[in-house]
Amino acid sequence: MTTFKTIGKSEPRRDLPEKLTGEAKYTADVQLPGMLFGKILRSPHPHARILSINVDAARNLPGVRAVVTPFDAPKGQVAPDMPILDTEARYVGDEVAAVAADDEDLAEAALSLIEVKYEQLPFVTDAVEAIKPDAPQTRPGGNLVGGKPLTLIRGSVEEGFAQADRIFEETYSTPAQAGAALEPRAAVASWDGDNLTVWKSTRGVHADQLALSLALDVPRGNIRVMGQNMGAGYGTKDETRLGAITAVLAQRAGRPVKIELTRQEEFVAGRHRHGTTTTVRMGVKNDGTVTAVHATTIMDTGAYLSSGPGVIRRAGQGALYLYRCANVQYDGYLTYTNTPSGGSYRALGAPQGHFALESLADTISEALGIDPLEFRLKNHVGLEGQPGERVTPANEVLDTQPVEGGVPFSSNGLRECLQRGSEAIDWGQPSERPESGNLRRGKGMGMFIYRGGAGGRSIARMRLESDGSLRLLTGLMDVGEGSLTVMPQIAAEELGVGYGQVLVTFGDSETTPEAPLTAGSTATFSTGTATKEAARQLKARIIEVVAPLLDTEPSNLQITDDGVEHIQYPERSVSFAQIAESVGEIEVEAAISPGSRDHVINSFGAHFAEVEVDTDTGQVRVLRYIAAHDSGRILNPKLAINQVEGGVSQMLGFTLSEQMLTDPRNGVTLNASFLEHKSPTVQDFPEMQVLFADVVDPVGPFGAKALGEPPSIGVAPAVANAIYNAIGVRIRDLPLTPDRVLNEIEAQRGDSQ
Amino acid sequence: MKPFKFEQATTAVQASQTHADAAPNARFISGGTDILGEIKESVLEVNILVSLAGLSGASEIISSDLGLEIGALVTLARIASDQSIVETYPALAQAAESVATPQIRNVGTLGGNLCQRPRCWYYRSPLFDCLKKGGETCFASDEGNKYHAILGAENCHIVHPSDVAVALLALDATVVVSNASGDRQMPIGDFFVSPDVNMLAENVLEPGEFVSKVKIPKPSSGTRSVYLKAKERQAYDFALSSVAVSLEVRDETITQAHVVLGGVAPVPYSVPQVDSELTGQKIREVDVQAIGQLAVKDAQPLSDNSYKVRLTASMVARAVSRLISE
Repeated sequence: MTTFKTIGKSEPRRDLPEKLTGEAKYTADVQLPGMLFGKILRSPHPHARILSINVDAARNLPGVRAVVTPFDAPKGQVAPDMPILDTEARYVGDEVAAVAADDEDLAEAALSLIEVKYEQLPFVTDAVEAIKPDAPQTRPGGNLVGGKPLTLIRGSVEEGFAQADRIFEETYSTPAQAGAALEPRAAVASWDGDNLTVWKSTRGVHADQLALSLALDVPRGNIRVMGQNMGAGYGTKDETRLGAITAVLAQRAGRPVKIELTRQEEFVAGRHRHGTTTTVRMGVKNDGTVTAVHATTIMDTGAYLSSGPGVIRRAGQGALYLYRCANVQYDGYLTYTNTPSGGSYRALGAPQGHFALESLADTISEALGIDPLEFRLKNHVGLEGQPGERVTPANEVLDTQPVEGGVPFSSNGLRECLQRGSEAIDWGQPSERPESGNLRRGKGMGMFIYRGGAGGRSIARMRLESDGSLRLLTGLMDVGEGSLTVMPQIAAEELGVGYGQVLVTFGDSETTPEAPLTAGSTATFSTGTATKEAARQLKARIIEVVAPLLDTEPSNLQITDDGVEHIQYPERSVSFAQIAESVGEIEVEAAISPGSRDHVINSFGAHFAEVEVDTDTGQVRVLRYIAAHDSGRILNPKLAINQVEGGVSQMLGFTLSEQMLTDPRNGVTLNASFLEHKSPTVQDFPEMQVLFADVVDPVGPFGAKALGEPPSIGVAPAVANAIYNAIGVRIRDLPLTPDRVLNEIEAQRGDSQ
Repeated sequence: MKPFKFEQATTAVQASQTHADAAPNARFISGGTDILGEIKESVLEVNILVSLAGLSGASEIISSDLGLEIGALVTLARIASDQSIVETYPALAQAAESVATPQIRNVGTLGGNLCQRPRCWYYRSPLFDCLKKGGETCFASDEGNKYHAILGAENCHIVHPSDVAVALLALDATVVVSNASGDRQMPIGDFFVSPDVNMLAENVLEPGEFVSKVKIPKPSSGTRSVYLKAKERQAYDFALSSVAVSLEVRDETITQAHVVLGGVAPVPYSVPQVDSELTGQKIREVDVQAIGQLAVKDAQPLSDNSYKVRLTASMVARAVSRLISE
């Protein structure tokens, strides 16, 4: 068995001391001499043409230093469907104009002096309504993104349904769910001549640099984006309109400008998990063999596209790939509405798609008289992947979300997750404590598949610095998941030094090399692979330059915590400081485009919940929760467990209490607050147990796969199935709030009478 | 948020006069957990905030043979943990404990809790010009009314948000109101008014008046009380429905009963027919389910809140059941 110095050890988070002591600086903490405060005027209408904006009174208010409107903003785009400011407002809360003033109150006072003439336009707030032929049009091209659904097919579902003994179909819905990060997004911009520096809440400084360059028409090299500590984002902080508006104001004022969203703005103008309606149709043999899966998702992207195309794609992957089946189809309808914009949020569409799929799986199991666990053990996709012919040419990298069959996984621990998770929750055994009165207990489960792993091109730089210290430089951002800790673990392990000896510099577009977004559960795999390769190269270079100093061959040398020593004669050694003194700084850089031509690299898992339902009050308590994951080798167990517990906690909110509500009469968000967007608190959380399958992936760095997002996928089906198990009532619309539980119990009683 | 003046009053008379002089654009503030939210979210514009936090004598809990006097500035955290309240007036301690979060209970006061404004999301958004704000429409009448009233509402469908008030009404509390010329007091049931009486306020306070204390008569030795609250999450939530019940039991017989509902009506809602139904019953013979049903007999649910009818009936049954098995 391989023994490691630091891989697999729960090294403490690098950022823990400064975060615990309050020393950590976030974007809103950035203070610059002469800095102004910006505020954004937002649309009160869900859909309106902006005919004119009179800013005279605002501009004349003493202390107001800059104003920007759609009529005078630079004409660049911050996203394909989003200019810096637009003459059309597409949801209540859309950015209309902005001001910068000496202080925040002045800026707000200035907003109230801006006169906007709107021509109100027809609007639609519901995605299912929006794709009907006579729906009000949110855009000239129609509401359906691309004019047609995304359709993905393997085999033929017609054939698959023809082979089925029985066919089941159900429809499920999930609401818009805000990320509800503690830190509202913020940006600070400062110009020095033609050079722009932006500090912002971000999960990708290089992506922001590129986006700002395109929006502002400023060469990329003139823009520096500096990531700060993140008060979480869960994927939602990857857009740049705020940064661009702040930069324009700063340029006009000739002074630095800071904008920090209010809590209410963060809820409305931040990004949320897309609301969906999904119909799943499955064909099965009487023995439980799955013969066809056909899922159709209608997804509300809101006013803007944002990451919608990625989200609609991911919502279908469970239906396409979780159950071994030759005949599958997914149709995804991504739809504009006049509501706040959806965006990237932990696992994108996977939780929505899996909620429908894994709920239906339980319905089928029950109808066929098969235990839900057995149904999954019988049908889950195995290491060999899906039946069918490989479509991707043999010399090309395989998609991490394949549709084709005939492509094996690099590793697949799903079965182990099902087995160990079910043992941990005593599957098949009645709940430990007896049911009493109106309290009913039940257990439920859900399994899942997730792409993760390989992401975009990533560069890591490693340096032996002039003082002998070792440093890893990457443009990566730690958005809370812990890459600031795991990357130096990877580097230290490869180099052969202690974890604490590798210093890190992250997230600065000027001083660190390009890294992809910390997104899609890819950081450990992608930047980790680049880091490992850079460390390998640095080690080789160091040994190469030390060999003549110690008068020996490189093969006789090894790296230790202190420097380099001769393997046979350890007294012949040289410290890192001495090496640097002798040969100067050594720097290497490794660029990788991760991926595999031979294997699909996916993560898997199975979640199990035990719940208690109060049939008098409709209240659901999750008593026990088991999360079993195959994410390859776990590089840092404590961080990994935190990651899973965080994901589960967050999605217990999605499942039981959170939703963003838009009034269909006027497009106003009704509950843009922590009070009313009901994220659970610590009192709502169950006892949790996290299990990791004993899998070492042959492709990933030190055998690791993806873990960031998978914890959020299995929660809703596990809890919904447990509720069904407890009270025999299936609620098909999230969140599973007391009113819905009571209404369904009532409906069931009505039916049975 | 519009700029406003902040006046720290040192005497009741000064507080009252400052407020009365600036009415209607003056407000009192103590803990500020409610009013600052209203101001920040542009629901309310004030010219002056008159702070009561410096008034002497309003931060005391005095327990005597006659009963309890609680100053309006006593925090909810103190009420929840005060030994005499926990022992003798459990419904009140439980109601205070059920409010929001520890942070809010540490600064939120009794007076402020009684005078908080509705949580109705139409009232709380400046983008809805609703009846409560002098507009023409109740936006909750036809849709979007999951959290709204099922009882006692005609045109405006708010629910009164206070937990503490529900318990206080069940405990027959009296509210003492101060103004520049002295005090007046009234049963707490008369302190609150429904929108049909006054659309723009939830209580009888006149300009210059504020709640200075609450008095609760000492319950007889056979009296027991409880407060139960249904929420969508365990902390930081207003009631979907709540109930406070006070029962006096002698020789296994209920000799007095007061059942009050919260979260379901524009005011803390007494149900006298339930009280009289309970009174005189042997505790072993009480049909708690029937009592629960009786409590919601007059319910008129809206499109999205019929669940509250069943929930409230269950809550009443559970509360009564708990007290008679004590």
